[in-house]
Amino acid sequence: MPLIEATGIGKVYPGGVVANDGVDLTVDSGEVHAVVGENGAGKSTLMKILFGIERPDAGTLTLDGRSVHFTGPRDAIDAGIGMVFQHFSLVPSFSVYENVVLGSEPHGGIRFDRQKAIADVRALSERFRLNVDPLPPVRSLPVGQQQRVEILKALYRNARVLILDEPTAVLAPQEVAELFVAIRSLIAQGKTVIFIAHKLPEVLEISNTITVMRQGKTVGRVKTSDVTEHSLATMMVGREVTLRVDRAPMAKAAPICAVNALRVVNARGNDVVKDVSLFVRPGEIVGLVGVEGNGQAEVLEAIAGLRHVAGGDITVANENIGPLTVLERRDRGIAGIPEDRLAEGLATGASVAENLVATRLKDRRYARGGLLDLKAIRANAQKLIGQFDIRVSGPSAAVGTLSGGNMQKVVVARELAEQPKLLLVAQPTRGVDLGATQFIWKTIAGARDAGAAVLLSSADLSELLALSDRLLVFYRGRIVAAFLNREDLTPETLGRYMLGLAEQTPDEIEAGLG
Amino acid sequence: MSLTGTSLKPQSRWTMARREIGRAVTAAVIALAVTFIVVLFTSKAPIDAFTTLLTAPAQKVRTIGLWIDDAAKLTITGLAFSLVFQARQFSMGVQGQVYVGGIAAAYVAVSPIGETWLGLPLGILAAMAAGAVYGFLPGLAKAKLGANEIVSSLMLNYIAIDLCNYLVRVSLAPQGSGLLETVRFPKTSVFPALVANTRIDVGTIFAIAAVLIVWFALYRTSWGLKLRLVGHNARFAEYAGIKSSFIMVSAMTAAGALGGLLGSMFVQGQSFMKLTVLFEGGFAFEGILVAIVARSRPMAVPFVALAYGYLRQGAQLMNIRTDVPAEVIGVVTAIIILLVSSSFSLPDRRTIMRWLGRGADRAPAAAAAVAEGSGK
Repeated sequence: MPLIEATGIGKVYPGGVVANDGVDLTVDSGEVHAVVGENGAGKSTLMKILFGIERPDAGTLTLDGRSVHFTGPRDAIDAGIGMVFQHFSLVPSFSVYENVVLGSEPHGGIRFDRQKAIADVRALSERFRLNVDPLPPVRSLPVGQQQRVEILKALYRNARVLILDEPTAVLAPQEVAELFVAIRSLIAQGKTVIFIAHKLPEVLEISNTITVMRQGKTVGRVKTSDVTEHSLATMMVGREVTLRVDRAPMAKAAPICAVNALRVVNARGNDVVKDVSLFVRPGEIVGLVGVEGNGQAEVLEAIAGLRHVAGGDITVANENIGPLTVLERRDRGIAGIPEDRLAEGLATGASVAENLVATRLKDRRYARGGLLDLKAIRANAQKLIGQFDIRVSGPSAAVGTLSGGNMQKVVVARELAEQPKLLLVAQPTRGVDLGATQFIWKTIAGARDAGAAVLLSSADLSELLALSDRLLVFYRGRIVAAFLNREDLTPETLGRYMLGLAEQTPDEIEAGLG
Repeated sequence: MSLTGTSLKPQSRWTMARREIGRAVTAAVIALAVTFIVVLFTSKAPIDAFTTLLTAPAQKVRTIGLWIDDAAKLTITGLAFSLVFQARQFSMGVQGQVYVGGIAAAYVAVSPIGETWLGLPLGILAAMAAGAVYGFLPGLAKAKLGANEIVSSLMLNYIAIDLCNYLVRVSLAPQGSGLLETVRFPKTSVFPALVANTRIDVGTIFAIAAVLIVWFALYRTSWGLKLRLVGHNARFAEYAGIKSSFIMVSAMTAAGALGGLLGSMFVQGQSFMKLTVLFEGGFAFEGILVAIVARSRPMAVPFVALAYGYLRQGAQLMNIRTDVPAEVIGVVTAIIILLVSSSFSLPDRRTIMRWLGRGADRAPAAAAAVAEGSGK
């Protein structure tokens, strides 16, 4: 008898979006069950239904053969289901053990029994090989450790089934390996794991069974041993996909952008970028490698003019752009795809057309004498929607109603509507489905081939390796290694530098800069 | 390629508008129903009281005048709040702007200029300029010093109220009279009435013009688009190269000018024709309700103002004519705000059918259970 069986699950959101339509999911006890699918395929909705956050409009859900109706996450937790979201819900200033027991604290009388809590959390982390020190505050931990705290939280509430929503998205390769060790130990001790993912190699490595979803429906349930990455990708997308970008040999032109001894200080007064020097030539993609929060994002923001520069200088086309405003920099041909499209790249409440002209409100084509040319704005939107294959009902639809991949296409369309000289790209395909990823990669490579200099920062090493001509590894705000992207460069090599286990000498970096 | 599965139905502006109107009307009906229950328990003649609330404002030309005048003023304060809300600034300064606007208009009106034809336009312009400056201050404090605009604008309100008290006492009231008001303004400084013997004056026209101007500014100018983008997502606006602090300050200044205009409508309008202390009586804040129910849409503001102004007038007449106090209207206001600002939505036909369906399911089951129980 399967542990969890969902049959014919249907869910329509109030806006009329059909998120799930006759979805079936069968999870056996003691397995790692991967749920894969493109963005907007309905994976998140299905998980929210399993965890009681959303209620299905149709279908049945059984646990241990008994029909269940969850009215909220509380019910699901009581039934032994735990979920770790992509965005953690931890209290940063609380210690690890306080976060774990929060809401279910052990107590003697009315007193919070801290010693018991610490002992419990320590025992739990040892038992499941999730090594975390219970005492430090959560904010001092790296992302990988914070994720373990989330898993411990679920285990502390006696979860039998753990739902992990894209757990590897924020991790370095070594951390992914550690997470997989922990998952295997969970399975060995009788837990069941449901694993949502985009990255197929990981799915193939960790899961026993895979459910593939597409456009709100289940496409199939397969044994992992029976599929390959290619066949799985084809199932997900419904057509053949190639995740490969041809890189033309790079021309050795003079650098268009040079960063010299850049220093950036954060709000707390700490150096987040220290003495970083780099350059990028027209027609090449330079990948900024590093675990998130090691200064790559800040370098890009400093070049874009969004962050105060504490020292050093930035030149673009032999002009010091230090004193220029964001808009003046954009006029010089700098474009950017920001790290977090919802926080920085889009106004979700505004329409697609408005988002597409937001950077060009000084352009006489769209605004003259302070008045908007609504016709031109609409025509621009229609053109870009077609050119970038944005799936939307029309230019006046609010961006917030689009799927993740289509939102990102709006950003890409806006930034690449005109060929940039310097393109700053951060996490271009985070949370974006395979089809859109393929499209976005091609678009970035196309901009490069048309002569743009590209700085690319990504948490996804396969993306960096697929696109970059050169790679610079960041660790704690400094460049610790530089590589030409050759066939023999592996994620593991990069990983050692990313985690600060190794560092090149200045001469080696110089050589790698090519 | 087909757009199946997760694709969206194209939703026209009218469907959205219809849904919003439906929500607002439902909220009002629910609020009135609750009010009726409250009246039922507090009044000796509840039906009379409730009838007065609902029908009295429309029964006499004079009360219709009161209603329209209120609606015009509610429109202006509603627009001022809508403007800052769209930029996601929570400036609460309309009250202060009304007072400084009123003071400025009064100074013009009691000066020799007030006796000339310039008295009216100059009074209005002075009021708007004073309001704009008063709206600009919290914006500047926020942009330059990071001061929270809610706190600074609320504090500026008290300063304006007391400034008005002080100036009326020491310089604006007739010397030695001890009155807390100015003399009646000369005719040249008073808004001409549009309908004789009512309070309906050219302020109503200003209100309609203001609706059109604010709508145009928000939806047809690049300033308006920038303002809305800043309101949607200030970080994105910065990213796109929009100077969000400039937009923020200019939105608060423009709203300030509207607040100042409202000040002039009060003191120069047919309702007062003079400056008295505390003339505004907390009225400006009711623009928050209007803006919330109108979802900060300038075109919706006058309609909400008319509806709310009617209830407001009805409540005051109920207060005078029956044993129910006007404060009961606070119940209506509170429930409307709760319902509109919460994400309550109208059940669609399918949901209603399901409820009915469930009800039908349950009824036979319950009947069966009863039958079984009685059988034993």
